[in-house]
Amino acid sequence: MTARLGLLGLLLAVSLALAPFAGGLPAGDAGDFVLVQLRLPRVLVGALVGCTLALAGASFQTIFRNPLATPSTAGTTAGAALGALSAFAFGVGQEHPWGLVGFAFLGAALASALTGAAAARGRLRDDDVLLVGIAVTLAVSALTTGLQAAADEGALAAAARWSLGRLPQVGFEGVLLLAPLVALSAAVQLAHARPLTALLLGEERASSQGVAVSRVRVLVLGGAALGVAAAVAWCGPIAFVGLLVPNAVRLGFGGAPRLLLPASALAGASFLVGCDLLARLALPGRELPVGVITAALGAPALVALIVRRRR
Amino acid sequence: MSTPARPSALAAHARALSARLGGQQVLCGVSLELRAGELCALVGCNGSGKSTLLGALTGRVPLQGGEVTLGGSPLAALGARARAARVAWLPQHPPSVEGLTAVEVVETGRFRFAEGKEALRREALRALERVGVAPLAQRRFEQLSGGERQRVLVASLLAQQAPLLLVDEAANHLDPAQQLELYALFGELVREGLAILSVTHDPSLLHFSDAPTRVCGLQAGRLQFDLPLTDPALGQHLGLLYGVRVESLVRAGGRPLWALERLP
Repeated sequence: MTARLGLLGLLLAVSLALAPFAGGLPAGDAGDFVLVQLRLPRVLVGALVGCTLALAGASFQTIFRNPLATPSTAGTTAGAALGALSAFAFGVGQEHPWGLVGFAFLGAALASALTGAAAARGRLRDDDVLLVGIAVTLAVSALTTGLQAAADEGALAAAARWSLGRLPQVGFEGVLLLAPLVALSAAVQLAHARPLTALLLGEERASSQGVAVSRVRVLVLGGAALGVAAAVAWCGPIAFVGLLVPNAVRLGFGGAPRLLLPASALAGASFLVGCDLLARLALPGRELPVGVITAALGAPALVALIVRRRR
Repeated sequence: MSTPARPSALAAHARALSARLGGQQVLCGVSLELRAGELCALVGCNGSGKSTLLGALTGRVPLQGGEVTLGGSPLAALGARARAARVAWLPQHPPSVEGLTAVEVVETGRFRFAEGKEALRREALRALERVGVAPLAQRRFEQLSGGERQRVLVASLLAQQAPLLLVDEAANHLDPAQQLELYALFGELVREGLAILSVTHDPSLLHFSDAPTRVCGLQAGRLQFDLPLTDPALGQHLGLLYGVRVESLVRAGGRPLWALERLP
């Protein structure tokens, strides 16, 4: 198993090394600029975002004991989007990336807390958590739409560019912003692999085994929300990574968080770098938002997963 | 209750427990002592409060009144790990979990220990061996039969190494031979000095533990009787509790079996 984890790491290293060169480079100084200022940051941000989204997905699926629970279905992504949009509406979004992340984290944490609290207090069946998450997502999205209607033209334009989920950027601002947040978020989640395994077998059982259930829940959901918020704030909501990657990883690594979490993080990074490559090369001369690619791959995968689960 | 000549350590002491769940009074003033080296069977009809009492003893069920002490410390004052060091619990319903191997399930029982990966795996395998399912270690939990799963869960209970085990209908899903084996194992553990409280519907199984055994009858949240397994009046009490006629058939070796009949 550790060897397979190593293979995923190798895959990521290869994607990071090759992706910036794919599609060729203009000759001379322009080539250097494209490589260093455009492609490299784009690939690195793609890896960071893919890593954090897939890891958050694995954590959510474990904590809610449901393979369809992800930041997107639990309301976290919608919350982050609302927070980020509020930042645009208040005019902090464009100028202050840390403010943008802060707003997004506030939204993500609030929405996760709603879903998490509902899951914790009612003796909900595991499927009910999804319904709560979807309700939270819909309610938050309604707020987002309302906010868009009220926002002024400039904020709207900034938000619209962002709302599709895209990775193109110039320079390393995004890398420097995301790297520490993603690392912190990942560290918090990975450190809880053992209590998460116990939680898989049921909350009351885990509690009787010595797991401080509420604290684990708050820390892991909070850590995941931080990563998701940073990713959503910088790139916009990118769908299906958190759903698709952990479920695919589970087929090869099993469901034990000790392996599932790091494997999802590595695979997610490679996956999004690959998807972004497709987005960049699919229409020569035009840019496809990477969210289009992940959704195009993720939606059929989701259907296949539901069918497989119900059989 | 008479004091035994050589009092063994009190694993748990419940004093006048009262609890409400969903507007219903489910425990009314239940007092119970669980001692090291003793098997205590908890019997009663469905809904009589057996699982709730187990919940109260692990702190999962909020109490309206009364107090639980575990190994001398008030339960309410214990943190999760300290509690897990004093009492382990096998829930009535096995979890539905996908993607974990049997040994990974057992390892969750070791959460309270700070130990390395190798020690963790070694202890988990030892627990599986104790329950006689070591060959299942690497199998996926969800692919095991009901009986195999139950035994893996018992292994996880043992892996926690608590001095008090609360077991909720552990013989469910087991075939008759495995049920006898399970109670024989409980007997071994009790003779090693553990205290076990076992919810069961089948008191005839208790003899197979071959250990000092009490039977406590719970009805509508009240403790109706608390008798040694060898008490000749136990059959009658069981009959009253379940609303059936109970006849004791004493076999060679002194182990009674109970035959049930409907009341006329």
